[in-house]
Amino acid sequence: MADKKERSGSPGQEPPEPVPAGATPRRAGLGQRLLPYAGYLVVTAGLCAYGLWADNYYYTQLLTFIGIHTLLAVGLNMVMGYAGQISLGHAAFFGLGAYTTGALTVHLSWPPLAALPAALAVPALVAFIVGMPTLKLHGYYLGMGTLGFGMIIHILFREWTALTGGPNGLVGIPVLSAGPVSLAGGKTYLFLVWGAVLLSFGMCSRIVHSRVGRALSAIHFSEQAAAAVGVDTMRAKLEVFVFSAALAALAGFLYAHMVTFISPSSFSFLVSIRIVAMVVIGGMASIWGSLFGAGLLTLLPEWLHVFSEYEVMIYGLVLVVVMIFFPQGLTRGVLDAYERARRRKTGAGPSA
Amino acid sequence: MSAQGEEKPAPVLQLEGVSKSFGGVRAARDVSFSVAPGHIHAVIGPNGAGKTTLFNIITGVYAPDSGRIRFEGADVGGRPVHRRVAMGIARTFQNVELFSGMSVLENVMVGLHVRTRCGFLGAIARPPWVKREEKLARETALDWLRFVGMEKVAETPAGDLPFGWQRLVEIARSLASRPRLLLLDEPAAGLNARETRDLGALLKRIRAQGVTLLLVEHDMSLTMEISDRIMVLDQGVKIAEGTPREVQADKKVLSAYLGG
Ligand SMILES: Nc1ncnc2c1ncn2[C@@H]1O[C@H](COP(=O)(O)OP(=O)(O)OP(=O)(O)O)[C@@H](O)[C@H]1O
Ligand SMILES: [Mg+2]
Repeated sequence: MADKKERSGSPGQEPPEPVPAGATPRRAGLGQRLLPYAGYLVVTAGLCAYGLWADNYYYTQLLTFIGIHTLLAVGLNMVMGYAGQISLGHAAFFGLGAYTTGALTVHLSWPPLAALPAALAVPALVAFIVGMPTLKLHGYYLGMGTLGFGMIIHILFREWTALTGGPNGLVGIPVLSAGPVSLAGGKTYLFLVWGAVLLSFGMCSRIVHSRVGRALSAIHFSEQAAAAVGVDTMRAKLEVFVFSAALAALAGFLYAHMVTFISPSSFSFLVSIRIVAMVVIGGMASIWGSLFGAGLLTLLPEWLHVFSEYEVMIYGLVLVVVMIFFPQGLTRGVLDAYERARRRKTGAGPSA
Repeated sequence: MSAQGEEKPAPVLQLEGVSKSFGGVRAARDVSFSVAPGHIHAVIGPNGAGKTTLFNIITGVYAPDSGRIRFEGADVGGRPVHRRVAMGIARTFQNVELFSGMSVLENVMVGLHVRTRCGFLGAIARPPWVKREEKLARETALDWLRFVGMEKVAETPAGDLPFGWQRLVEIARSLASRPRLLLLDEPAAGLNARETRDLGALLKRIRAQGVTLLLVEHDMSLTMEISDRIMVLDQGVKIAEGTPREVQADKKVLSAYLGG
């Protein structure tokens, strides 16, 4: 019977087919358990293969940048995709991480690894202080609040010349080294960055599949109901905001010691929008989607020069289109659209 | 102390002179009442009488303009919503508020939030006690689904369920926090006759678990059948209170309902 497949939410109609408690959970559980490991394995294998056979400085740099962008995207995805809170100022934390380590290593000659804790802690602390009032806002207001925050930090980078070098930037940031062992040089750094990416993926996926992750997801669907079942929504939002700021700061640290020169333009509003676009294109609430979104938006401007000229316009357009037509993100949206088309083909019944 | 006071057990919930206005609308005016432990206590009244507002005040969504709210003797007035849940006050919503994209089981697991404690760092490190807690949460949530008869749809996205089933899942989710007082806002709305009858039986089973129920309900036959006490609100004012029989005989109640 064709109409048996149809599901309806209205009370008058037949309830959906009950899902047998034994069968489906096991299948979903197995899939859920295997799929993430498959991702880690593929990426590790790919990196090993690249390390063994490829030797191209340009591609090594490009892949390292993809890794750094992935860190930014996956962190923001925790805030936007899972907890449902928009943040349009994420580049600020990226920049705070980069400038903190930059200032400490250049002005005070700290070794980079000694600067790392501060490079994570300062942005995290800023996220905590800024998040307290800002995360009380919702929707567009939260968007405006975080956007304003990003702009202020950007101005700070440009104007606090003594510390940041102002518009000319901060030069002479040392490359990473652990004692006598230098971690500079293309491939070593590539592995380091991707190690951080995989580690962050592991952390994020553990958070998502935990009491904390369920609470975040609950806030996404109904903040009022989440509070009504006992979730301290403010605290949960603040925690995930600080966590994502720390990931962005780690990306900033890795970026600063890679390029050894940083300037305010690398942490502008456009960069914040680019991170949002990575999340949206890769897929909200999809950890591995962040990798896809970051990859695509790192490669496109490299390959298509038209793209970099009209970058802002294209992002604007992409965001509008994706938000309207694929609110779940491009990856998921395309899959869903395919699924709908398939179902329409097979399930076109007499009721239509 | 009077002899009368010693006979009565201490009320679970006590409101004293609670008032709340929205602009010009006075949604609650000097409302006082108390709910005895183990009772099913109903609040009835015409549309816009202020029933949902009263729930929002008790759970902490709104702060009252004046008056006190005591839960098991403690003044809960200044506490935020989630703290009151941890103390033992749970609720459901008039328009069912499930986390629609999450599975039914996950919905109920969120209901266990105040009874579990894994935090951000615990989630990342995932030590053995977190794994144990997670497993126990899953089993407990399934138990609550079994209690309302919804265990067979545990893995279905909550938003895909028919409305009547969503209500049951919402009740399971609210029970998961192990409340001692449960507020139900029109649980029978949108249910057919058979579902309403089953709901009545479920509410009695919940009471048998030692949960006191405060119930807003428009279905009069259900309310009259299961309630121990009924309070009638009209335009924010408590106009009557008593046993179902007393309330049915009250002239003010009749005229409020007939618009007199
Ligand atoms: N947040 C709010 N802002 C403004 N007015 C409100 C708000 N909440 C409730 N009201 C008003 O307070 C009055 C009481 O509303 P309430 O929802 O408590 O009624 P109710 O008894 O639950 O009605 P119903 O049977 O329709 O659910 C109404 O006039 C309503 O418009
Ligand atoms: Mg109401």
